Amino acid sequence: MALPNQGTVDYPSFKLVIVGDGGTGKTTFVKRHLTGEFEKKYEPTIGVEVHPLDFTTNCGKIRFYCWDTAGQEKFGGLRDGYYIHGQCAIIMFDVTSRLTYKNVPTWHRDLCRVCENIPIVLCGNKVDVKNRQVKAKQVTFHRKKNLQYYEISAKSNYNFEKPFLYLARKLAGDPNLHFVEAVALKPPEVPIDLAMQQQHEAELAAAAAQPLPDDDDDLIE
Amino acid sequence: MDDLEQAILLASDSPAAAAASPAVRAEALAYCARARDETPPSSLLHLCLYGLASSPHAHVHFWCLQTIHDALLLRRRLALPDDLALLRSSLLSLAVSSNAASPPFLRNKLAQLLALLVRFEYPHVYPSYFLDLIPPSPPLPGPTDMFARVLVSLDDDLLSQDYPRNAEEASDAGRVKDAMRAQCVPQIARHWHEAAVSLRAADPAVAAVALDAARRCISWIDVSLVANDVFVPLLFDIALSPGSVAPLAAAAVGCLSAVAAKRMDARAKVALLRSLMSAQKGFGSPDSGLKMAHLVTAYAVEALECYRKLGSSDADGAAALEMLEEVLPAVFAAAESGDDDEVDSGSVLEFLSGYVSTMKAPTEKQLGHLGQILEVVRMQMSYDPVYRGHLDVLDKIGKEEEDLMAEQRKDLIALFRSICRVAPGATQLFIRGLLVTALSSAEVSVEDVEVALTLFYRLGEIVGEEEIRTGAGLIRELVPMLLSARFSCHTHRLVALVYLDTISRYIKFMQENDQYVPHLLTVFLDERGIHHQNAHVSCHAGYLLMRAIRLLKAKLVPYLDTILQSLQDALVQFTATDWANKDIKFSSSEDGSQIFEAVGLLIGIEEVSPDKQVQCLTALLNPLCQQIESLVMDAKAQGLEESSPRAIGLQQIIVALTMISKGFNERLVMGSRPTLGVMFKKTLDVVLQVLISFPNVKPLRSKIISFLHRMVEILGISVLPCIPIALRQLLVDNEAKDMSEFLYLINQIICKFKSSANALLEDVFPAIASHLSVILSHDAFSNGFASNTEEMRELQELEKRFYAFLLHIATHDLSTVLLTPSCRHYLENIMQLLLITSCSHKEISHRKTCVQTFVNLIKDWCSSSEIEDKLPGFRVFMIEKFATGCCLQSVLDKSFNFRDGISIALFGEIMMAQKVMYERFGENFVVNFVTKLREAHCPPDLAEQYYQKLQGNDIKAFKSFYESLVMKIRQQQNGSLVFR
Repeated sequence: MALPNQGTVDYPSFKLVIVGDGGTGKTTFVKRHLTGEFEKKYEPTIGVEVHPLDFTTNCGKIRFYCWDTAGQEKFGGLRDGYYIHGQCAIIMFDVTSRLTYKNVPTWHRDLCRVCENIPIVLCGNKVDVKNRQVKAKQVTFHRKKNLQYYEISAKSNYNFEKPFLYLARKLAGDPNLHFVEAVALKPPEVPIDLAMQQQHEAELAAAAAQPLPDDDDDLIE
Repeated sequence: MDDLEQAILLASDSPAAAAASPAVRAEALAYCARARDETPPSSLLHLCLYGLASSPHAHVHFWCLQTIHDALLLRRRLALPDDLALLRSSLLSLAVSSNAASPPFLRNKLAQLLALLVRFEYPHVYPSYFLDLIPPSPPLPGPTDMFARVLVSLDDDLLSQDYPRNAEEASDAGRVKDAMRAQCVPQIARHWHEAAVSLRAADPAVAAVALDAARRCISWIDVSLVANDVFVPLLFDIALSPGSVAPLAAAAVGCLSAVAAKRMDARAKVALLRSLMSAQKGFGSPDSGLKMAHLVTAYAVEALECYRKLGSSDADGAAALEMLEEVLPAVFAAAESGDDDEVDSGSVLEFLSGYVSTMKAPTEKQLGHLGQILEVVRMQMSYDPVYRGHLDVLDKIGKEEEDLMAEQRKDLIALFRSICRVAPGATQLFIRGLLVTALSSAEVSVEDVEVALTLFYRLGEIVGEEEIRTGAGLIRELVPMLLSARFSCHTHRLVALVYLDTISRYIKFMQENDQYVPHLLTVFLDERGIHHQNAHVSCHAGYLLMRAIRLLKAKLVPYLDTILQSLQDALVQFTATDWANKDIKFSSSEDGSQIFEAVGLLIGIEEVSPDKQVQCLTALLNPLCQQIESLVMDAKAQGLEESSPRAIGLQQIIVALTMISKGFNERLVMGSRPTLGVMFKKTLDVVLQVLISFPNVKPLRSKIISFLHRMVEILGISVLPCIPIALRQLLVDNEAKDMSEFLYLINQIICKFKSSANALLEDVFPAIASHLSVILSHDAFSNGFASNTEEMRELQELEKRFYAFLLHIATHDLSTVLLTPSCRHYLENIMQLLLITSCSHKEISHRKTCVQTFVNLIKDWCSSSEIEDKLPGFRVFMIEKFATGCCLQSVLDKSFNFRDGISIALFGEIMMAQKVMYERFGENFVVNFVTKLREAHCPPDLAEQYYQKLQGNDIKAFKSFYESLVMKIRQQQNGSLVFR
């Protein structure tokens, strides 16, 4: 796989595409990884930033070239042209904005049109913010499409590793693969209210038992 | 085109781009953007079509298709009929000649563009799209694949309800579907069938795409085009044939599931389900394997729905139930497989819950099904043995697994609950089976024991307290069985913890059945409990023992000595100062200190004889006090570092003393058994020595404050003489957080001793006030906000405690303290602070506290005659400053929200303040306040009405009148008034 101005490495590497509405925190998320931050190449004019993020697993090192499509003007750049040859993906939405969740199916569709049958993680970001608009129990899209869902908080590093671990396991075909070294992350900028988050996760678990709604109209105000 | 081609390759992730510099790539991207945005529409179209025809590069093709798509969708720039005709014919010929070997992303992009043309032109501009695209018979892979992708794109971009659609899209979708139904759907369905027949072996991937397209259309086409005796058998054959590759089989199952799920009337649905069943007898048998799981689940869900709608008395309804039961074995097999890729365990679980919820009095057969569902629950709740070691030591992986399992178990427990409600007897029998198996073999695994105990524990949550008490059903048999159980894997953390929790869950049974109390104690005290090798288990056992003692109290008196003896080593261990050996970090709630509370509770039981109490308490307190004295002596000689073993040892001992005291109350200690009071008093003196010697070791001090809280609680008024010296020490090196803790203690003392605390308060008030004036100065807030939020939180907490402090003084007959000469000095500042806060603090609850404080002060200090006022000037201050600022101006401010709960409560207090001011200050208050009302443009008649309502007895009416008055004045001012 060719990558712009990026040195190659002698361990497995994968092109990871990160999509989602503007402002959902895609860039903040990839920049939490300190080694990635150090090595990243900023490609402002081509509308995409590529960050190589390394993780050490019990089966050796693995690298994700994260194609952060942040800040895309709707019809600028190459848009879905950047997804070509993507091997795994993260779809990000912002739990404080319903619209960003409503647009998730569209991101998923556009992604799958270019990258068929790749492992995808859905991430609800900003769970540190008190005023949530998309409650855990309202997040059902991942169940319809068999995606993995994680609640994350890029600012507090909450669940940072989870999406990468899931993708690494899928790509390696080893469900017991695990990270052996703690990932170097920037210190959290906000504390996460763990009690509150546990409540959300309880809701999420309870929601898993609920029937899927026919559509998501109930999210529209 | 050569330049554009070059630019596209440089801007993308092609090999050419990898070698280029960022500047070159930026330039390339700009070049592409210019080509797209600035080329005239016709030329752009020609350019793109040329690129598609001539370039060998997939990236270039992609860009060309994308550019045309955008131009068409967004700018409608290809509006010229000739351009559109050219585009249409070019794309259609590309599609029909399409090669199945070209990259899927390109074929999808082409399909997307064609679907867009269909949306805009079909059937009114160009009616032959589908007739052109449907591959001729016999279908070849290339065109078949392309046609299927066009249908899939049409579904994704226009027809499917899974995406947000605007009104225009919805109407386009209706038009396209109607025209297709009228023109070509039967032909398309025939093509799918042919494609499936002829390509299933030759090109299974393409056959799978064709069936995927079919699946998406089934919801809106005539279902009989697929649900017929030709197509359905073919689909079953593909789905079940060992020769079918997985994606193809899955696509066939998808079609069958879509047929089963097709929306229709319940009776028609029963007929449809019946026809599916007769097409493939036994597709619901577990032998079909997991690949049918999706169909089986969909089928079961639909059958259940029909049964629910039609009812069991209806022939079709009964038939639906039969069909459902026929596929149940396959549902169970899917559920037990634990295969996440093939089985959507969420929807299986959802179905099982739905099925259970239809049962009222289960038949013999249904009981059998419930047994199987219980087995599903058990299996899905079981841990994977892979994590056994991690879960024992609870490392990072173990912790993660535990969290994951806790989440996974939530729905399963809900299902378990409903089974338990429908069939309590069968559930208990099931659990007995699990326990008997677990106990009968030395080989039984950690996971099996854990899940058996967990289910038994959950059972205890569901059956009523009464049933546990009386040992209803099998509980009478199961609990004793559990009490004497020793599992071969009892050393494992998970097993030991859930074992103890389960025992505690059924403790009410022991309460009624005394003969089991010794067994219960043995569990807590031997290596299954406090003497378990795992420290966490041991601490948890301590906590549960404490709760057991609270519940069983007098029943335990005969075992007092046994318990104390068994705990001896654990008690000593807790306060041992060799902290180097204690490397386990505990959560704050279960740190092992609860065994002291347990012992305290035990000794404090009133049925224990006074002599015995004294003897036991002496044996407990004396060594601890001696330990303190010796540690203090050493520390005096060698100093006391905050985190030194010595300081930590002292903390542990003081925590232990605090916990012991929780077993005693004032009535016992100061009333019926005063000897105990003397012992605690002595202990208090010893602890105070620590405070006196080392007032500024903060963690230690904080533990001492907790101890003092307890002593205030149990020693009552006799504690007062010791308090001043303690308080003075606590004010040493006192920051916001410390001051908060300090005020909490003072507030407790005020509430407990009321006016008896007068002298004490008079003594410490000046020190408190001067400390607070430094800490709570406005500078502290303004600087602290930006610099350090943790500090800010501490300050806010302190502020809250301080206002509570003032309110407590005012409500507990202590307001005269404020008037004493030594306190008088601070009065002016305090009054100003109360005023400002009650008028404008952004924390509404603080405002309320301050208004309440003022109301109480008025009552305390003012009578109806001004001459008798205890504080000269206070009356005028209240009338002129407080009444105007708080009762009028603060509520007139638009930020005062009458729809907010706390604000409404504040408003109630403000109304109360007006009543009290009228009562004590009479006309002086009214005249001034009405003047202020008039100044705020209140109409004279309303001001008059205000006066009347104020005199009346109906506070509710007064309140709602005043609210409407405020709203009226606000309207009149129309936002122009500037009060502050």
